[in-house]
Amino acid sequence: MTAGAAGRAVCLGCGCACDDIAITVSGGRIAGAVNACSLGLAWYGDGSVPARVTVGGVPAARDAAIRRAAELIADGPAMVYLAPDITTEAQREAIAIADRTGARLDSVTSDTAAAGILVGQRRGRAAATLGEFRNRADLLVFWAVDPGTRYPRYLSRYALNASATHIPAAGRTVVAVDVGAARGPAEATARIGLAPGDEAAALGLMRAAVLGREVPGLPPALAAATDLARQMARARYVGLVHDGETGPEPVDPQRAEGLVGLAQALNGPTRCALSSLRAGGNRSGADAAMTWQTGFPFAVDFGPGFPRYRPEEPASAALRDIARVLIVGAANGVPPAVAAALAGRRVAVIGPRASQASFSVEVAIDTGVAGIHEAGIVYRMDDVPLPVLQIIPGPPPTVTVLRSVAAMVGTRPAKAGGR
Amino acid sequence: MSAPARLRIVGGAVHDPANGVDGDVRDVCIEDGRIVASVPSGTPTLDARGMVVMPGGVDIHAHFASSSCNHARRLLPEEHTADPVRAPAILDGEGPARSGTGGTLPTTFATGYRYAGLGYTTAFDAAVAPLTARHTHAELDDTPVLDAGCFALMGNDEYLLRQIAAGERGRASDYVAWLLGAAGAYAVKVVNPGGIEAWKSGQRNLTEIDQPLGGTRVTPRAILETLADAANGLRLPHPIHIHCNSLGQAGNSTTTLATMQALAGRRAHFTHLQFHCYGGGAGAPWSSAASTVIEHVNAHPEHSVDVGQVMFGPATTVTADGPVEYLLYSTSGRKWVNIDIELETGCGIVPYTYKEKAAVATLQWAIGLELFLLAKDPWRVVLSTDHPNGGSFLAYPALIQLLMDRSARDEQLKRANPKLLAGGAIADGLAREYSLNEIAIVTRAGPARLLGLAQKGHLGVGADADVTVYARDADIARMFSSPRYVLKAGRLVVEEGQLRRAPRGRRLHVRPGFDDAALRDVRRHFDAYSTVAFDNYAVGDVPDDPVRIGP
Repeated sequence: MTAGAAGRAVCLGCGCACDDIAITVSGGRIAGAVNACSLGLAWYGDGSVPARVTVGGVPAARDAAIRRAAELIADGPAMVYLAPDITTEAQREAIAIADRTGARLDSVTSDTAAAGILVGQRRGRAAATLGEFRNRADLLVFWAVDPGTRYPRYLSRYALNASATHIPAAGRTVVAVDVGAARGPAEATARIGLAPGDEAAALGLMRAAVLGREVPGLPPALAAATDLARQMARARYVGLVHDGETGPEPVDPQRAEGLVGLAQALNGPTRCALSSLRAGGNRSGADAAMTWQTGFPFAVDFGPGFPRYRPEEPASAALRDIARVLIVGAANGVPPAVAAALAGRRVAVIGPRASQASFSVEVAIDTGVAGIHEAGIVYRMDDVPLPVLQIIPGPPPTVTVLRSVAAMVGTRPAKAGGR
Repeated sequence: MSAPARLRIVGGAVHDPANGVDGDVRDVCIEDGRIVASVPSGTPTLDARGMVVMPGGVDIHAHFASSSCNHARRLLPEEHTADPVRAPAILDGEGPARSGTGGTLPTTFATGYRYAGLGYTTAFDAAVAPLTARHTHAELDDTPVLDAGCFALMGNDEYLLRQIAAGERGRASDYVAWLLGAAGAYAVKVVNPGGIEAWKSGQRNLTEIDQPLGGTRVTPRAILETLADAANGLRLPHPIHIHCNSLGQAGNSTTTLATMQALAGRRAHFTHLQFHCYGGGAGAPWSSAASTVIEHVNAHPEHSVDVGQVMFGPATTVTADGPVEYLLYSTSGRKWVNIDIELETGCGIVPYTYKEKAAVATLQWAIGLELFLLAKDPWRVVLSTDHPNGGSFLAYPALIQLLMDRSARDEQLKRANPKLLAGGAIADGLAREYSLNEIAIVTRAGPARLLGLAQKGHLGVGADADVTVYARDADIARMFSSPRYVLKAGRLVVEEGQLRRAPRGRRLHVRPGFDDAALRDVRRHFDAYSTVAFDNYAVGDVPDDPVRIGP
């Protein structure tokens, strides 16, 4: 049996959400994933997931576990936390539960990718969907990121694909900006190096150069950066690429601000779009659904009886004052800082591999993985929505379990002043 | 009151212009969600004596459910923080009661509640990139009460431009038909034809309709003719919905008139016309060209418009017209989002405030009113603020007051900056005041007719029982901002001014037929250039049956 034989399965191994994966299935397991990269192959595995339901670590009836999870979240103060690998349909249902119970609502984004979003809220941004980078960018500048590591097919699918509407295959120039140990891709035909302490200054000087303000007598590294800025201003369409997620290397908090400002300024003399790389598991879907239902992309507090934005307090910090947590999504996708902050909390997990969580869990209800066992909508890193299919059977769908929880939680009266 | 399958609305002054009813006191009978001629005695009643009864409002052009709107929401946390929306006191079991936030771009549930609270029961999102249509349908799933749909952006679509360049009009028509179905859309939207592609490809913009796109034979005129003929040839219920080139620029009325003349004899709808009626430019000061443009509209029954009125106060400009948003960003210094959308269109967002002390904002305000007040046929000149571009849909009651009450206009004029108004019709004094029946036309009956929605916008037998009941009030804005009752498909959603039910609305979309053979070439195009697989592109099943196409 072959599912997705036409090559339309969507991989959520990273935010590229490649939708050309041809899955082969044998004996109810995934036997092959043609076109998938190493991350994708690891993400799919053989598709097997546990289908356990436990309360207090002991196998339990599903209805009883659902009731216990509902009681846990309804007795607040509580947090509903959106972890990866669920569909946007499930995310919407989880947000509804948070609304009805007056809970804190957050996602992986607050601890991993908030910086760029907050800059975007202050300044805006110049961006594009990934196809525009592929079809138009004659100059690609990779800022302290080699997509090959965490986004393996980004280059081949979205940046350097030979087939493009507006530029010939040989018409692209790739430049790497290495910041400390964070290096750009090997495919770069030119590169400049910056010390981490010079990065913010370099970005400011580059923006100034684009705006026609020259600063004489710069040291070589900064002079090279301003030369690059002038090269960018002469290009027809600049694709500026950075990692929107936190990584192993510490990042200057002003990087995102500088990149957004540079990209916007370049739209005076030419065109430029900034691509912010995001990790997988439909994180962008969580941002999108939270935005249309609450007005905010992460860090929402329903305690006052309406959504209140708490961007200054990521989930790992907010958990200090919260005793009960409902995690919806893959337990192994919870960032380490959040997992550590769960210690001592009463935790229910509804999601893929809930029963294998590395942290202490009171209620675990295993469900399927979006795009493997569950169909629905997911979002690529550039906010393009894609359909995912059920490839093999799995545990009861996340959204079904959440609807059962929602049916059991009442609407808690709003409390004055929030928690 | 529970929601009976039958209901008699008793004794209201009914304004149903589609059926020639102008304030007659009569009963309106409802059965199973439709208007019927009569109901048996003993049927539950709703006392509307002394009140005004109209069909539910129909918004022909707004931006409230799209990927672009969501980018705008994300850009505006300060607005959302300032306008929290508590979950309404909906009756038990009568739909989700959800909280949210407001501002110029409210969250989805708040959008549905607030539209219903104004007596509006049908609305269209006017600009959806087909690539992101799946997102729009997800938002519409979370937008209660409204029967709603979307218009698909096509005026800068790469495949379509290639067909136009090649003179392949038949193939273009098949593509239009397929794309509408793939997006689950209701109508063809054209924004700045060719101009967005020019913005993306370094040409920056196209401001005149015979200006070629790059080195090709594609011009705005060719795009408009191709799409107008496709929409009309497919017998779509609504013709192409056009946002002309050169929006917001001094002197753009020449482009607007040239566009209208290019499409003379073809059915076409020109949207947010106010933004396209500016004189001046080339050193001359901004001025009103409303009289000239509306004269064309008055003389061409095949053309219709919505006004896109500017209202003083906060707004958010959100449009596929990337180049105009770049200009606004450059001149206003406000925060700015631009998102180029592959192979299809663009997106630009700039928050903005129309200040009554600002000369250009006052001129824009005046031009909108001039268009309304100089229009000879209200059925073809209907109400919009291009929400949230000219102002929020929540400003509709205030706009209705301006139309119905000259003294309200004059009071506003006294506070506004008159610098650019000299020579305009509003400065010369326009005494016209809209009647309630004319308001019913421009807010309900007219938009429904222009959209080809046979069961909307009227209270004749067979119509959807979407009904709004207003308590009379000398304060017109107050009257229209808080209807006493609103019924959606025969069910009371607003009682005594309070939202009590929030049923899901119906999805309005079309699915025209096309030559399957044409898809082979489209698939080749996707395989060569798209980052989304052809088989993953179409939104798939859309809730509710498509609206019937044809005469």
